[in-house]
Amino acid sequence: MELKESSLYTATTPWFESYRETFLQSMPASDHEFLNHYLACMLVASSGEAEPMEQFSKLSQEQHRIQHNSDYSYPKWFIPNTLKYYVLLHDVTSGDEQRAESIYEEMKQKYGTQGCYLLKINSRAPNRASDEQIPDPWSQYLQKNSIQHQESYEDGPCTMTSNKNSDSNLLSLDGLDNEIKVDGLPNSFRVHPLQLDQCGDPPNTDGSDHTKSASVRENKKASTGVIRGACLTLTDHDRIRQFIQEFTFRGLLPHIEKTIRQLNDQEMAAVSAFLQPGAPRPYPAHYMDTAIQTYRDICKNMVLAERCVLLSAEILKSQSKYSEAAALLIRLTSEDSDLRSALLLEQAAHCFINMKSPMVRKYAFHMILAGHRFSKAGQKKHALRCYCQAMQVYKGKGWSLAEDHINFTIGRQSYTLRQLDNAVSAFRHILINESKQSAAQQGAFLREYLYVYKNVNQLSPDGPLPQLPLPYINSSATRVFFGHDRRPADGEKQAATHISLDQEYDSESSQQWRELEEHVVAVANKGIIPSSFYPTQYCLNSYSDNSRFPLAVVEEPITVEVAFRNPLKVPLLLSDLSLLWKFQPKDVNGKDIERARERARLKLFPHHIGELHILGVVYNLGTIQGSVTVDGIGALPGCHTGKHSLSMSVRGRQDLEIQGPRLNNTKEEKTSVKYGPDRRLDPVVTEEMPLLEVFFIHFPTGLLCGEIRKAYVEFVNVSKCPLTGLKVVSKRPEFFTFGVNTAALTPLSPSTSENCSAYKTVVTGSPSAGTALVSSASSVDFGTSTGQQLEAIPVPLPDSVLLPGASVQLPMWLRGPDEEGVHEINFLFYYESVKKQPKRRHRILRHTAVICTSRSLNVRATVCRSNSLEDEEGRGGNMLVFVDVENTNTSEAGVKEFHMVQVSSSSKHWQLHKSVNISENKDAKLASREKGKFCFKAVRCKQNEAAVQSSEKYTFADIIFGNEQIISSASPCADFFYRSLSSELKKPQDLLSAHTEKHGAEEAVRLIQKCSEVDLNLVILWKAYVVEDNKQLILEGQHHVVLRTVGKEAFSQSQKQADVDVIVDLRHKTTSPEALDTHGSFTWLGQTQYKLQLRSEESRSLQLKACFVHTGVYNLGTPRVFAKLSDQVTEFETSQQNSMPALIIINNA
Amino acid sequence: MAVCIAVIAKENYPLYIRSTPTENELKFHYMVHTSLDVVDEKISAMGKALVDQRELYLGLLYPTEDYKVYDYVTNSKVKFVMVVDSSNTALRDNEIRSMFRKLHNSYTDVMCNPFYNPGDRIQSRAFDNMVTSMMIQVC
Repeated sequence: MELKESSLYTATTPWFESYRETFLQSMPASDHEFLNHYLACMLVASSGEAEPMEQFSKLSQEQHRIQHNSDYSYPKWFIPNTLKYYVLLHDVTSGDEQRAESIYEEMKQKYGTQGCYLLKINSRAPNRASDEQIPDPWSQYLQKNSIQHQESYEDGPCTMTSNKNSDSNLLSLDGLDNEIKVDGLPNSFRVHPLQLDQCGDPPNTDGSDHTKSASVRENKKASTGVIRGACLTLTDHDRIRQFIQEFTFRGLLPHIEKTIRQLNDQEMAAVSAFLQPGAPRPYPAHYMDTAIQTYRDICKNMVLAERCVLLSAEILKSQSKYSEAAALLIRLTSEDSDLRSALLLEQAAHCFINMKSPMVRKYAFHMILAGHRFSKAGQKKHALRCYCQAMQVYKGKGWSLAEDHINFTIGRQSYTLRQLDNAVSAFRHILINESKQSAAQQGAFLREYLYVYKNVNQLSPDGPLPQLPLPYINSSATRVFFGHDRRPADGEKQAATHISLDQEYDSESSQQWRELEEHVVAVANKGIIPSSFYPTQYCLNSYSDNSRFPLAVVEEPITVEVAFRNPLKVPLLLSDLSLLWKFQPKDVNGKDIERARERARLKLFPHHIGELHILGVVYNLGTIQGSVTVDGIGALPGCHTGKHSLSMSVRGRQDLEIQGPRLNNTKEEKTSVKYGPDRRLDPVVTEEMPLLEVFFIHFPTGLLCGEIRKAYVEFVNVSKCPLTGLKVVSKRPEFFTFGVNTAALTPLSPSTSENCSAYKTVVTGSPSAGTALVSSASSVDFGTSTGQQLEAIPVPLPDSVLLPGASVQLPMWLRGPDEEGVHEINFLFYYESVKKQPKRRHRILRHTAVICTSRSLNVRATVCRSNSLEDEEGRGGNMLVFVDVENTNTSEAGVKEFHMVQVSSSSKHWQLHKSVNISENKDAKLASREKGKFCFKAVRCKQNEAAVQSSEKYTFADIIFGNEQIISSASPCADFFYRSLSSELKKPQDLLSAHTEKHGAEEAVRLIQKCSEVDLNLVILWKAYVVEDNKQLILEGQHHVVLRTVGKEAFSQSQKQADVDVIVDLRHKTTSPEALDTHGSFTWLGQTQYKLQLRSEESRSLQLKACFVHTGVYNLGTPRVFAKLSDQVTEFETSQQNSMPALIIINNA
Repeated sequence: MAVCIAVIAKENYPLYIRSTPTENELKFHYMVHTSLDVVDEKISAMGKALVDQRELYLGLLYPTEDYKVYDYVTNSKVKFVMVVDSSNTALRDNEIRSMFRKLHNSYTDVMCNPFYNPGDRIQSRAFDNMVTSMMIQVC
């Protein structure tokens, strides 16, 4: 089928032909049959002889003696009465023709006309000069080679069998073949008694006889080196032909005809039947079978059986009975002769594929068997050829075990034949296809492969390193990282997390980082993102945008992570792994390798500017010796240098080629399969850039909500060029501050700040009895303006430049987020080089802080107009501020109690004046789950309106409960206040402005609203006493409440309201006892049960109708409401306890 | 009782092949592979018209010295090949036939699995267990 087009198979093979030929030739004649038996004897005498007639009778006697004397077991004679044919050879140029004719007449009288012949030859003198090339007339009867046979295969039955069989074919032959038998078969190993060696001593005493018989022989045998036919002319040729025909038809055939009928052998009969042209009977194959059977089993004569099979197979093949021929051939194979079996199996295979519907698989299988036997017989080339031919059938069909077996043998045979490339590719095949072999088998394959491979390498040690097939490289999983490895925590210093290869890719976070970077770049470029901007990518992987050449910085390492996969069940040992790269302008020095499981990280250290291309990896591939691995010592590094592993490892390379993403933008790209470039491995090495390292000192991991903690940040410039423009951006700016003018008020180093308050405090002599201390500050000072959504906070570097090698420690205050839980806060540090560079302007550093917050206080505040309290200055608009503080801490963290330290107000227009109810709770202590209530009086600020309006000036008023004032208008208190304020103000303001623009007509309403507007912000400062590890700690913190409307409650944290949909089920307590007891109860009419879904914040009113029959008082409070979350499948219902009696009195109408 | 059971796709590549003495696996693979020629021959000998009504069970393909090879071809030209030990005389044609039917049913179940890609190697555990039961079952 699929092999049809392959030209590799033919019906037979030349080597088989010649085998058969030789086999038949070398077969000894046996007693029971007549092959190689002589039918006739030709006696030749020269006319130049003195007494030719006497010679003839002498020769005749000699022949008789040989035939009937038991001294000669060979040659065998067909019948006792052998035909003798007398030939008088006459040399025309030298002899007397008359005499010859008379002798011939004499012969005719003596032997009969049919038994003798006068052959005249040599019509001209030997003339070497004329060099006329007349073909040797004898040659066509001698030295037939098998090729001629093959060509004439189809022509007729006569050439079907070899010339040695011709004895038995006489009836149908044209007679030409019979010539040979006179000559004596070329049984090279036996000396024919009639064969006279010209050079040797004549066995006959009669010399003339010798020469005469030799004269014919001389022409027949090419052994003397005399140019045969030199004296022959064309007429001689005709005469010779005539002679032969005469001999055959007049002499031989009639003779045979008389005797042939005695032949009775079945084999012979079958062959004869086949040879009869146009035979009416079909070929009697069973004759042959019986003959073979008998030969083999009864006669135990394998040689005859084989001859029979060969004959029969050829006959069957010629009749297209390939299947039978194959069966015969296969049956003949045996254990004793590998070569014969191989030849026969191969023939059988050829038979299978020549069938009408070719049996390719049988062909392949028998080819393999033949190959196996060939290899056993030492015929390596034949074996290899057989396996290769079988491979065509098995290849790529999923018969992996068979394929592996064939490949393995091909590999071995190729190797022994020194076809190393073929061997390597065959072994490679076994290894790279997902092998289903056992581990031991795979190990053997691998060792064999490595061994062969090593030999290949040794042949061409200077050639380019060849590609290794193992292990697999998952090239798309290759990751490239630019920069130094992150230094782990150094003492109490904790390095910025930045990016490393150990982090898994997360699309969400990478998107966040990109936004942050875009934002900070926009800020740095005065609000416009430059067109050349694209996000910095330190780590390139399959998810990142790899369409651009990445930028690497000189003197900073490039780490390439290559993902290996071992498809085999045996371990592979890789050693001396290094990257292969090409560098354009100048060279790169220095490499470093480390290994990690299936992933190898390799480092390059560029020392010059230029373009780098990472091409692949070079490594030694080896196996771990079985015994070593079992012991578990294989992992020891010492074994790498051991003799074993070195002897079994080879050096090679594998290229790293990464296919880019599939393009799918244009129509053309959509219809075809095109891939974009992936430049991950082609970084451009640029000039030096500053490199920042950031460390955090005393950075907490757990905070109370609202807690203020002071930490230190250390900025180190580890590069050789100064950096500037250091900024930090975060999605949570309210989380941290660097403070303003901090140098004056904080200890300079973290070590001295151990037990200091995070706040700036002033000790007041005595409690100020609840009256406020007033200060003011502008929001501009604290770098917050409400205009921007997200701002970049410049880091206050001393000279705004960090010199190479310099480091700066800056304080940083943190405030625990108001929501309880785990917060992941991303910091993006942005910095620039002092000198502008065209390719890359800035660099970034990332840090992710994880903070776990626990609940602390919950503050609720309301403001209302005070009418009763008279202002001293007579101006109206005094207000009362009520503050409820609740300790919501669940106290498992060892928090003992909270102390209210101070309440400060901050507003443009209002300030707290004094505390009103300082009656009982002087310390303002709050133990767990306690609530405290405070009341303050607020007044308008004593500043002229114009100043307030123009500037962003806020008035801070502190009411102290202890003896220490925290200056709320300074860092860090004010910082956090402004930050929270700006984040708080964002959304509602937008809403309000949109509202007003829409409805200009509702100006009046807005005005009224404005009347009740108030902008008073409260800062509640507290201290918490915490016991941790038997040590008492004091934690500080602050909460903010923004009061905007009179009479409306405000909270320190947004009240958690889950946005959930609820399914409400309204039913009646129909079976309630009251309903049963009440005599003459009412009935509900219409729809009495509702089931509906309520969106969050949605309200619906339902109508229920009742019918009253009698007058009286009724309780309508029977409905019951069940609710459950809409996304919950399980019936987890809560019954609303609403048994509010709803009484109705029905009067008598 | 079966020594080797194989499922061969229409295109004559193996979907599933398992044999009991694992060390002889290669031999069985060759055997099954070679038997496909006989299957092809048998099917093509039947002629077009008869193909639709033919019996799925093809019967004994050929006996070797040690084994007998049976075959069964579904209408979609998927072949089930079963190699049985020659010495096992208890297995008659009927038993083989019912084994094939069981195999076919199990194969149909595999094909009904929406997660199975037709043409992939069969990795179904249920099918595996079925084959195991047919291989182990001692008569």
